[in-house]
Amino acid sequence: MICPNEPDRSPLADNSPGGVDLGRVWTGVAAEVWRRRLGWFERAAGRLLRSPGLARALVTTPSLLLPWLISTVVVFGVGALVSLGPGQPIVWLVAPAVTAVGIAFAYGPGIDPAWELSASCAVSDRIVLLTRAVSVFALNAVLGLLASAASGAVAALTFGWLLPMTAVSALALAVAVAARSAIVGAGAGVTAWVITLLASETVSGRLTVSVTSSSAYLPYLAIAVCCAVIAVYAMRPQRGLQ
Amino acid sequence: MNVTLTDVHRSFGKNKAVDGVSLELGPGVFGLLGPNGAGKTSLLRVLATVLPPSSGEIALLGRDPRMSAARRDIRRRLGYLPQNLGYYPSFTVVEFIEYFALLKEMPTSAVPKAVAAAVERVDLGPKAKAKLRTLSGGMLRRVGIAQAIVNNPDLLLLDEPTAGLDPEQRVQFRSLMRSLGENATVIASTHLVEDVGAACSEVALMSAGKIVFRGTPGELTARGEGHSVGDAPLERGYSAVLTEARS
Repeated sequence: MICPNEPDRSPLADNSPGGVDLGRVWTGVAAEVWRRRLGWFERAAGRLLRSPGLARALVTTPSLLLPWLISTVVVFGVGALVSLGPGQPIVWLVAPAVTAVGIAFAYGPGIDPAWELSASCAVSDRIVLLTRAVSVFALNAVLGLLASAASGAVAALTFGWLLPMTAVSALALAVAVAARSAIVGAGAGVTAWVITLLASETVSGRLTVSVTSSSAYLPYLAIAVCCAVIAVYAMRPQRGLQ
Repeated sequence: MNVTLTDVHRSFGKNKAVDGVSLELGPGVFGLLGPNGAGKTSLLRVLATVLPPSSGEIALLGRDPRMSAARRDIRRRLGYLPQNLGYYPSFTVVEFIEYFALLKEMPTSAVPKAVAAAVERVDLGPKAKAKLRTLSGGMLRRVGIAQAIVNNPDLLLLDEPTAGLDPEQRVQFRSLMRSLGENATVIASTHLVEDVGAACSEVALMSAGKIVFRGTPGELTARGEGHSVGDAPLERGYSAVLTEARS
């Protein structure tokens, strides 16, 4: 191990020509060699979330295999219950909470090996958790969309559960990032979900129509497109920064 | 002062892990000694803002960690090596250190050089691109040290930092700690009294959640004069203080 304030006894430091600090030069070279090239998605997520740390958490979520598998099983299990089951109102109301608890457990202190380390970092571990929830829902929603062509049951689960939950968790994360508070973000997500259910109840007399009626699919997709347009607009290159 | 603790308590149910600890620490290397269950790890977790104290006052780097904005600022300037370093097996050494550099909100442009410097300082250059699952216990410990120092912290908390290191690496690590302690406050919890004697300018001994001794390694050694338990002078001092605290 090398101590910067002590004379460097490494071979690189000895008799360097012209007094060049070869150790420092090597660190610069190593930084370039080892540098991880960011993909377009991570760059875009970094701009949107205003945090490269959150963007890295988002893209690395599926690579943490055990938590990912647990979360996915919870998401699909709860989704199957609410989408394919009888659809009791109380089930619809508590389903997101059950899923959130499942994801929190999967990426929490019991299973995430580096949780203690993450909890000592400047980026709030709760906002990281919201980011992971978005990643779990969004990637599974994409998989669900692909599988929808093959099976009607998967289509119902995707449109009735995965897409709305992706929207709710994304809203929660967006508010959390804007307000710099995970609690405010989670509150916004829960509120949006309850308002959606109660609005359905008011309009149709059925609490679950917002996620069971195919007439709601088009508005969901329209909202998703609007969000994508806003995202692209937010990520445009800023004048003077290029 | 970088660390100011006033009558800090931390309990888990009826168990008092930290029981009325008061400390004031500036730059330097501070050793935290004590037997298993003395409360060293709980105290470090409180200092790392991972655990809130049950009661008492804490100021870290001049800020109150109970306030959200202050806590975030403290965490940017904090380095922490937990006793059990959890790691992601599929990450490479560089990816793991970089991930925590980003979570510490280091400026993105500074991250690659800081990561490379941290990797070089713990002598892991040849393993920079290796997956963590392929590394030995000692190498993983060095990865943990690298992530702790990557942001050049003003407050560095190390829980059993030399566990798993071979003798040569321990000697090098003590030198690294001394170097870091010239500008930062380094608090190292350890079972190994020889680490304290070699690297620390000041030492505290914890027993049953309380600090029962605070002084220089020389003063701890002096407490062991005439005491027979222990192979080295510092061990005799450690043993004498503990015996006195328990009686």
